[in-house]
Order: sequence, then C-alpha cells, then structure tokens
Amino acid sequence: MSTTVTEKPIEPEAGSRRGLLHGLPWLVVRQHRTALVCVLGLTLLCALWIVYERHELIQLLDARGWPEKDAGQPLENHRGYEYITSILGGLPLILAVFIGAPLIAGDQENGTAQLVTTQSVTRRQWLIAKLALAYTLALVSGLVLSALFTWWWKPYRSVFLSEWIDGVIFDNTGPVLPAFLLFLTAAGVTIGVLVRRVLPAMVVTFLFTAITTMFVWDEVRVRLGSTQMFTYPLDGELPDRFAESYEVDRWVGSADGTLYGWGTCAEATEKAQDACIREHGIVNSVIEYLDYSQMAAMQWTAAGLLLAGTALLTAITLWRVSRRPL
Amino acid sequence: MADTSTPNATSGSWALEARGLGKRYRRGWALRDCSFRIPAGRICGLVGPNGAGKSTLLGLATRQVQPTTGELRVFGVPVDDPAVMPTFAFLGQEKPLFKRFTVAETLRMGAELNPGWDAVAAERIVRSGNVPPHARVGTLSGGQRTRVAFALAFGKRPDLLLLDEPMSDLDPLARDEMSTLLMAEAVERGTTVVMSSHMLTELEDMCDYLLVVAEGRIRMAGDADALVPAHALVTGVTRDGALPPELDLHTVVETRLQGRQFQAMIRPKGPLPTDWETAEPSLEEVLLAHLRSPDAPSLYTQGARVEAEGTQAA
Repeated sequence: MSTTVTEKPIEPEAGSRRGLLHGLPWLVVRQHRTALVCVLGLTLLCALWIVYERHELIQLLDARGWPEKDAGQPLENHRGYEYITSILGGLPLILAVFIGAPLIAGDQENGTAQLVTTQSVTRRQWLIAKLALAYTLALVSGLVLSALFTWWWKPYRSVFLSEWIDGVIFDNTGPVLPAFLLFLTAAGVTIGVLVRRVLPAMVVTFLFTAITTMFVWDEVRVRLGSTQMFTYPLDGELPDRFAESYEVDRWVGSADGTLYGWGTCAEATEKAQDACIREHGIVNSVIEYLDYSQMAAMQWTAAGLLLAGTALLTAITLWRVSRRPL
Repeated sequence: MADTSTPNATSGSWALEARGLGKRYRRGWALRDCSFRIPAGRICGLVGPNGAGKSTLLGLATRQVQPTTGELRVFGVPVDDPAVMPTFAFLGQEKPLFKRFTVAETLRMGAELNPGWDAVAAERIVRSGNVPPHARVGTLSGGQRTRVAFALAFGKRPDLLLLDEPMSDLDPLARDEMSTLLMAEAVERGTTVVMSSHMLTELEDMCDYLLVVAEGRIRMAGDADALVPAHALVTGVTRDGALPPELDLHTVVETRLQGRQFQAMIRPKGPLPTDWETAEPSLEEVLLAHLRSPDAPSLYTQGARVEAEGTQAA
C-alpha cells in the first residue's frame, strides 16, 4: 500500500454497479451475450414477420370473401410462409448446436470452467446459472414463436397447406415448440459435457438433432394419440366431419367385422374385384384415424415426453459435472 | 521463521493438511497415501517430475478433483465444504481467462463472484503493470495476461494461494516482475503460497518450505532450512569396487561410483568416517538426488508429518 497514486477505481463497462444483474447471472449473460442477442433477434424478427403475414392473410381472405367463398391456396408458393416455417424448423438446430453444445464444453476447452469454479462459487451453482440461461432462452423463444404461430394458424388452418399432424404445424404450435427447444438444448449441453470439446460436440449435436427431428420424431408423433375406427358402407362417402382427421390407415371389412387390407381386392378387372368382394363378404370401408380434436391432448403428451427427456438430460449433466473434473 | 515450522495442535494454523490422501484415475494411482502438513504463512514449493502428481494435488486442493481416499483440510476445514472456497485462490498453468472480456470486466467478475473482493488491490496490480483496463484480455501479451490473472487471484484476498507452474510461459523479464509481485503481495498479507515449479533456482529463491512428490508419493516435506542440512554429500574410496558397508549405517538417497571413488547423498544418522570427504549439498542437489531415486526413504521435518494411518516411516 505504499503507492500514493490516486486510486480512482477503474470504471467497468457502463452501468456496472447499477445493472440489474449481479453475480453468476451477470457472468453468464456477459459471456454469452452475442449468442443471446442473435437468438433473441432472430426470435423478434420471426415474431414480427408472423404478425405481418397474418395481417396480410386476413386482408387477402377478406378480399376473396372467405369463408363464404373458396379462397384457394393463398399460402402456396408463399415466400413469407416458407421462410417463417424454415426459421421455426431451424431454431431447434440453432439452439442445440450453437447454444447447447458449446455451453459447458466451451468452458471446459478454454479452462474457464476452472477459472469460474475456483472463485467463490461451487460447480453446481455455476452449472445451474449456465443451464438457466440456455433454458430461459429456449423457453422464451419457444413460447413467443409458438404463441404467435398458433394465433396465425388456428383460425385459418383450412387455408394452410399442411395438415395439423404434419411436423410444420404440430411441432410449431401449442406447447410442443418450447418443449422441443428445451429438449434439444439440453441434449446439446449433455453432449457437450460428455464430449468436452466444442467442435466435435457441435457435430455430434447436429447429427443427433437431425436424426431426432427428421426420423425419430415423425414416428413418435403419430403414435401420441390412440387411433379411432370409423366404418361406413363400401359405396358410401366419408362424412364431412372427417375433413380434418388424419387417416392413419384404411381397411375394408365384412359384415361380421373382419378387416382386410385396403388392397385385398385390388384386382386387374372389375369382374375379378367384384368376385373377391363377394367371396370375402366385404361390405364396409373402414378408416383408422386421428381426429383433430385429439391434437391438444397429443401436443401435451408430446410436451410431457420432451420435458421428461429434458429433466433426464439435465440430471445426467449435473451428475457428470459434479463427479468428473472439469 | 523457525518457530512457524511447528504451530500448535490447532489445525487452523495449518494451511493444508492431508491424511492418507489418494486419487486414482482409470490408468492408476496419480497420488497415493499422501499425509503431510503445510504451516500457514509459508511459501511452499511443490517439486516433482512431470506426472508425479503435482497437478493432481493442486486439483484436490482447489476442489477440481475429488479424492479417492483420505481427506484434505484447508485451514482446518474439509476441502469438500464450500466454505473453503473464499479462502483460497488458484492460478492454473494455462491461466485461463475469458478472452473476450476486457480487463475491467475480468476484475468485475472477481468482484461479482467473491464476497471479500479487494478491488483496490486488484486494480493496483493491474495498474502497476500499465495494463489498459479497456483492452480485451485476448489482445494482451503473455506477461500482461499473467498480471491480470494475478490481480484476480489476489483480489480474492485468499489466505492460501495455489499456483501451478505460474512462471513457466513467461519471458525472463516478466518472470522477474511476477516473482517480485508475488512475494510482495504474499508477504504483505501473510498469504500462504503453494507453488509447483520445475525451476529449482526459482524455488530456492522464493520458497521456505518444500513438498517433494515423485511417482504419486511424498518424498520430502518440511522446512527448506531443515531439509538441506539433514543431508550430506560424501565422497570416499570404494572397497573392492563396491560401496563401503559403513554407508548402510545412514539413510542413503543416491550413490554413484566413479572408478575407485564413490559419491553418495546420505542423511547421516551418526558420525561419519574421517576418511570421507563431506560437503553440504545445495538445495538443488538434494532435490535432484531425491527426484532421481524415487525409492529412497522419504523425509519429513518436524511438524510436516501427520501422525495418521497410511504414512510410511522415514
């Protein structure tokens, strides 16, 4: 203390002591501020765009006298709709690969995990702050975009190109989008913690996300609700109320209820076909379907599954980080 | 200084106290059966070849690594208790810092994460090295970055400062500057310093306590002033080309045959034959002899040994 230099404290960045954030939250926000700004910016951009496109759609539908008159396919080859759905489709990948995977792996690789956990904060406190940041980001982004997209789609779903069961609608509305973002972010974090290197972690996370969203989830989605059967005369028309139902399978059936595959009597000639129908005693058409009314329950089931997965991955991350050296 | 070597039985006066401490990785034991004590207020050198377990020992003391066996106490508090966190500061080999943070932000991090942050001291250390506070850490030179890391460590006001090869990547000028800074700050506050190093001369200049590790075990622990005089470097004539049997009366650390002569580093247990030439070795010679012969019996000076399970006889 021999120096007599006027010890005016070095003023840290503007608003240092008066800022809202202190301690670990300040640190993680400062560390990840670029990523935060990017994701929140993308979310805001996409949100405003949805609001604009919804407004445009309403004007167009009004001009065409919808719903009394047929409005055609206003969203076919519609650039705005395509971009918005690509952003929504790409968001899980962005969050998992660019936020989740490097979240802990980056600090492990640079040694800053050691730096932070040899200050007066425990590993667990640090990890919780990190996860809180990533999960909050995923949740905020997911909730805002899902709410807006649902608000756009639901009243005008009949003019949308995709069915409710399609990934572009089912996964981007209701509780599914936030849950999906949380799950994939957690997956990215866990992969990062296990791999401990940023680049390999990002590659593995990319592959995991791609496989999950493109193959696995398509199989899971249609199995979230229990299908129902509807039987109607072979030469009859399917009632209108099934317009929004998703047809899982189609059968033909005899009077006693035996079901045969749809193509059982697909013969070359009508004569042969009639003979086949008579032989099996087929009198009914049967559809196996998922009704639109099941959508909400299926979406909550999906969200439940994804949140359970998130909880499991979080537990693995916490367990791994508290046991192994960083 | 001599009276500090054996503090009273109260464990608070021991900066570090290990009992049967061991860490096993998949490849085997990195550290085994370590029992030792380091008194508070000392500058302790941690010496040993690469892979001897120095970094593991520092990792255990900084809670980065969890022990497989045994226990370690920092000022009497078990190291797994989060209450020890504010009492120590650690400066790793790589001196990791957030490269995109400015110097001021790095110090703010110290203030945000440490309850007893000493902003004045941290800023003084940074300022005295003319490190621009608004420069990003990634743009600083190696010496400047080390200075910022030191500022972060001392700003924490630690009672125990743990350093893992702190000077290894510095040029001679910066090394000298940092050593001076380290000694000045440590002496001013009475901070206990434990530093691992390869530079034996650096240790000789700075340390008054030594912990020598080889092959995962403690070879020597104690006062530098007491460890060296315990040894003698003797030269004598061989008997029929072999070592004389009188040598077995003493603790032999290392022997070397040169034609008709032998040279041995021993710890005398009694009077030496008059026809032997005896010299007092330097610290460096003692350390090198111990590092070259990891099988030599270990040596603890008074107080450095913990009377506990898992210690081997000297």
